[in-house]
Formats: sequence, C-alpha cells, structure tokens
Amino acid sequence: MNMRPRRPEKHLRPEELERLALPDGRKLPARSSAHAAECDRCRGAVAELQSLHAQLQTLTPLHPMIGFSDRVMRRVRLPVPWRVRVLQAVRKHQVGTAAAVAGAMATVGVGLMWIARYPELTPVTVAAFLVEKSSSLLWGGVMQVGRFVYGTGLVQAAQDIAGQLTPLTGFVAVATVLFVGLAALRIMVSLLNVTTVSPPATGR
Amino acid sequence: MSYKERSDQDLVRLCLKSDERAARELVGRFERPVFSLVYRMVRDRELAEDLKQEVFVRTFNNLQRYDRSYKFSSWLFKIAYNLTVDHLRKKQVKTISMHGSPNAVTPERQEATSLSLESDEESPDAMVEARELAGYLEVAIGKLRPDYRTAILLRHVEGRPYEEISDIMGVPLGTVKTYIFRARRELRELLEDRWEGDDGT
Repeated sequence: MNMRPRRPEKHLRPEELERLALPDGRKLPARSSAHAAECDRCRGAVAELQSLHAQLQTLTPLHPMIGFSDRVMRRVRLPVPWRVRVLQAVRKHQVGTAAAVAGAMATVGVGLMWIARYPELTPVTVAAFLVEKSSSLLWGGVMQVGRFVYGTGLVQAAQDIAGQLTPLTGFVAVATVLFVGLAALRIMVSLLNVTTVSPPATGR
Repeated sequence: MSYKERSDQDLVRLCLKSDERAARELVGRFERPVFSLVYRMVRDRELAEDLKQEVFVRTFNNLQRYDRSYKFSSWLFKIAYNLTVDHLRKKQVKTISMHGSPNAVTPERQEATSLSLESDEESPDAMVEARELAGYLEVAIGKLRPDYRTAILLRHVEGRPYEEISDIMGVPLGTVKTYIFRARRELRELLEDRWEGDDGT
C-alpha cells in the first residue's frame, strides 16, 4: 500500500481571513470556506480579527470645532470660470468697459466705411502692407543699433555678406556672434566684480 | 437636488464653478474623518485643527489640479496624510501621549490639548470600561509607526478599501497589506500587555 505523507495543511491567507472576518460582499472560494469551517487555527484568527475590528470601532468619534467651514472659506479661493471673471471685471470697471466697447465699435465702423470706400483694399492686402512696413521698420532699427555699436563700415560689410548668405551659414554666423557677445559680457561682468545678491528668505 | 444629496464629484464640479455652498458641503462631509486621522497622528487638538484647516485650504485652492478619475476622498486624505507626515518629520514626533500635547508646557495647556473621551453608554460601569478600552486603544495606536497608524486607521476606523489606502499613502498595495498586517499584530500585542499588566496589579 502506497503511504504518501500527508501534505501540510494550507491555512488561509491574510486577505482570505479578512474577507471572512469582515465580509465585503465578495465571495470566498468554496475551498477556503470549507477549510475555515474545519481549521481551529484559522477560525481563531478570524475571531481575533473580528475582535480587533470591533475594538477599533469603539474609538471615540472626535468632534471638530464649531464654525470650521467659515474659517476655511475665508482662506479659500475657489476657481472662477472665465465667463464669471469677465462679468465681474465688467461690473468692477463699468466706465473702462464702456470706453473699450465704444472704441471697438468705432474702429469696426471706420474699418467698414474704409472698405466700402476703397474696395480694392481687402484685409489681405492691408495685412501684407502692415507686415512689409513693420518688418522694414524693424530691420531699419536693427541696422541703426548695429551702426551705433559696431560702426557704419562693419555693418555695411555685414549687409553685403548677408545678401550672399545661405540659411545655414546665416544661422552659424548669428550663433557665433551671440556666443562671442555673451562670452564678452561674462568677462566684463567678472572684471567689474558684479555680484548678484539674493533677496532674504521670507518666513511663513 | 439639494447639496446633501449630491455626490462628491458633483460637488467638486460645482466648486469649480465657484459655488461656495458646494465647498461648505464637502467640508462638512469630510471634516470629521480628516480631523480623526490628523488628530490620531499628531495627538494635539489645536495642532490637528490647524493642520485640518490647512488640508481643506490646500484642497480647494488646488481644486483645478484634481484628477476627477480618482475619488475625491482619496485625494483629500492624501493631502491630509502628506501634510501630517511632513509635520511629523519636521517635529520628529514618533509616539504620543493620551494626556495632552507633547509640546504642552503648562498643565493647563496639557489639559486643553488632551483627548476627551466620550461615551454614549448608560451604565457608569460600562462607561468606565468603554473609556478605559478606548484609552488603551488610543495609547496603543499612538505607539505604532506613523505609516502603520495611518494604514490601520484608514482601514478599520474609516473603512477605506486597500486600493484607496494605497493611493492615499502613495505606496504599493502589497506594502499597505504588510503595514496593516503588522499594525494589527503590534496592536494585539500592546493591548494584551496592557490587560495583563492590569491583571497583575
């Protein structure tokens, strides 16, 4: 007769014990329930857990202070939707809002009259004109600054070179100039011994 | 629908539209559980009130960052837990006293910060017994490590599921199970020691 040694009894795992002690609606496998019915050790563990849980339930409920929500709400800034924020701003600055609305209406009115009078000036042509004008102004300003800093001759030379630059060589040239400029600035700062002073840390 | 009948998520949605009554309802709903947790962590009534206030202020002032796929209570408890643990770390408070704040410098201050135990039991004997048990329990809980204390309070007192406790404490589920398992074992040992000590006297 084959007498195999009996396998050691497999007791319930902690989560199975807990599900037996504190039922949460989830079913326990039949094997586990059957084991719990027979095993004194597991039954004891379940009873122990139930007892501890019951004891913890007797902990005195703590009652917070009265008027707490008022104190909290005094320090809370609830998020305000943008529509409400706009309405609040309008209510707060009535004169300013009226002036802004009147200005906007006047601008639109004048614009419409202009378009009616000069039909060839479409929004696209006006926009193109503005872009061209502003870019030439910007470029002119940059050139003025360059003449002031580097002198007329150098800028003239740079302008001549710029006409022959490809995008890549242009980028390399700009990057080099920036790098050299920043390095020079750093050397100047260290020579002048300029130190940065942090503001004192503020307490809470 | 009245505010009391609305879900937490509904109230949060209203708060995001600047509805103060919704915020007050949420405060009323979670004031006690947050206070219980924080108080049992720091054991100083005044300090617990301050921390609790800070918890709600931070919660509402950062409401736009709240991910609504999570439970509001998890988020709130997480803020409470982090704030309290930060405080404990700064102050290096590890254990507690039932008899008032460890920071109390006068007997009056100690009395003012101590935990008053109330009971609804009618019989004086039962009341005394209940107070005694609650007192032992409070002391035993206070002797647990802050992690164990939080985990067991959230599980057995607040009835939070393991997954939520894992979210709140920012540790894996397995770690929460370990914390609770060890906390239970330590609590049982502490309570047994206490009862045995009483029998001996």
